[in-house]
Amino acid sequence: MSSDQELIIQFQQSINREANFTSLLHKHQQKVYYQIKRMVLDHADADDIAQLVWIKIWNKLDGFKMESEFTTWLFRIAYNETLNYIQKQQKQRNTLTNNDLLDYENATASSDSPKSTEIQIGLDRAISQLPEKQKVVFMLRYYDGFDYEKIATIVGTTIGGAKANYHQAVKKVEGFIKKL
Amino acid sequence: MSQNNAMEQMNKDTTLEQDRQWTETLLNKQSLSQFNLSKTDAPFNYFESFPEKVMSRIENEKRQQKEKRNATLFFLPSFMQPLNRVAIAAAVIIIVGGSFIFLNNSVNKKNAASIVAAPISIQDLSSEEIEAYVDTNEWIAEIDVQSQMNKENTRLSTLDENQIEEIKNTLYK
Repeated sequence: MSSDQELIIQFQQSINREANFTSLLHKHQQKVYYQIKRMVLDHADADDIAQLVWIKIWNKLDGFKMESEFTTWLFRIAYNETLNYIQKQQKQRNTLTNNDLLDYENATASSDSPKSTEIQIGLDRAISQLPEKQKVVFMLRYYDGFDYEKIATIVGTTIGGAKANYHQAVKKVEGFIKKL
Repeated sequence: MSQNNAMEQMNKDTTLEQDRQWTETLLNKQSLSQFNLSKTDAPFNYFESFPEKVMSRIENEKRQQKEKRNATLFFLPSFMQPLNRVAIAAAVIIIVGGSFIFLNNSVNKKNAASIVAAPISIQDLSSEEIEAYVDTNEWIAEIDVQSQMNKENTRLSTLDENQIEEIKNTLYK
């Protein structure tokens, strides 16, 4: 499989633009989707945002200068699009309404033991209530294993800021779980 | 150089591992691994159809942009339309050219008319001019003489020289 860089160069040289773009799309669509869905939870919203993100990538790929990794740029666009979408829809997930939380808890309840389910729901709830930036930093660090430099570029902060966001997120979630 | 990179990578990995361990000591590891937000399932076959969906949306967007551009042109004042601009330019040329020709013609006619209509008094003419006129238009002169004689109710044969001279003078006047 061609590297991102090769695909982008060919795209920028107008060689099989659609084919090269589709290759990039196939390669990264899942990561983008999951990153978005972690923030908005709803599949329809995540699908819509993911489409907007890829349309934006199509429109801006000609101007991409390879100064950073393609995935960093891609996740940054996904992050910004998701934030815009959330602001537009006024669906600030860190201030979920009681009904939203109930739906969310029902949706996330698994077949584990009652105690595990309780902890699971608590964790889900705690993470959901984190500020968007902390939530994304936490997800990118803990689940995707990104380094702080990349996370900082994606969320538009410094490396120190990203580290602080991660630690604050973990502490907040811990505090929330302890209260249960 | 590559050793440095390897060390750097190891440091990064260690830090990530440390971060993970620290997180798992504070939060429930099992719950973290089962955290639904991190492994939210997409609908069946979603990723198979997604690229096609995106490409068709890009095509739609392109088409819409094209239509929008056309619509913008359509809603421009009619004189700004590219085709109409040519037509308007041609009309302006015709109007300006036509008016120029028309005005030029009427000026010429006016000049000509003023020459014809300018009153010429017989007193302004020299006797040489009158004689030249009579010579070249003898028949008209004869009619004039004849009509003058009729007016006087006389016949040329009965007239003496003085009378003829008098008629001549009248005619010249």
